[in-house]
Amino acid sequence: MEIITKEELSKYNGQGAPSYVAYKDTVYDVSSSFLWKAGRHQVLHNAGEDMTENMHDAPHGDNMLERFPVVGILASDGG
Amino acid sequence: MAKVTREMVEKNGINVEQLVELLVKNASAELTTFYYYTILRLNLIGLEGEGIKEIAETARIEDRNHFEALVPRIYELDGKLPGHMNDFHDISACPPAALPGDPTDITAMLTVLVEAERCAVRGYTHICNMTAGKDHRTYDLSQSILNEEIQHESWFSEFLGEGPSGHFMRRGETSPFVSKFLK
Repeated sequence: MEIITKEELSKYNGQGAPSYVAYKDTVYDVSSSFLWKAGRHQVLHNAGEDMTENMHDAPHGDNMLERFPVVGILASDGG
Repeated sequence: MAKVTREMVEKNGINVEQLVELLVKNASAELTTFYYYTILRLNLIGLEGEGIKEIAETARIEDRNHFEALVPRIYELDGKLPGHMNDFHDISACPPAALPGDPTDITAMLTVLVEAERCAVRGYTHICNMTAGKDHRTYDLSQSILNEEIQHESWFSEFLGEGPSGHFMRRGETSPFVSKFLK
């Protein structure tokens, strides 16, 4: 599995690039989601970022991410 | 625009630009769902489909009511709807509730319906969380819509055999919670 640094993750922000998000050190490709169009999700969240902390306030569980392919592991030091 | 209304919401710590964008996206979800539900309802035929048609129609009309109720709040807060329908469709807070490939597959039809309602339940829960104790009018509106979306979810969920919810189909007027915003 590819190791992705935080800096590399930030480039996958959905702006001319795929939309990746990290959650608990796993990186998901959410590009296929209608709800992540152009790398934005429900106004408040942007692709290319670690969503681990945001999940606490989300009106859904982390099982939502099971719908998307895993593309890597977030570097443990955050890059 | 209702100037002091917006000021009060801002003063209570709400990012009004974000809130308005969320309201517009959810208004889009309501109107587009009204459109897609029209097609779904038309295709709910046969022994199984006819049994679902009535609640699909009620949910369709109530989603249109939600759109109607949301629009004044958007403009009160100095927001506006996109000038073009295509743009409005594409910013929806929920994916299109498109007709399944096989409309005679009732489970597939119900799955589209229940997923649309679940998206709405999440969306209004989010707005309620954001506005609770800070923007009383948007909270009241969102909570009213949420009450109806929860009932819609329950109706379709029961048909999928996910367990009882204690709800029954509407008797009398539609939108028992939201109608106060439509008067």
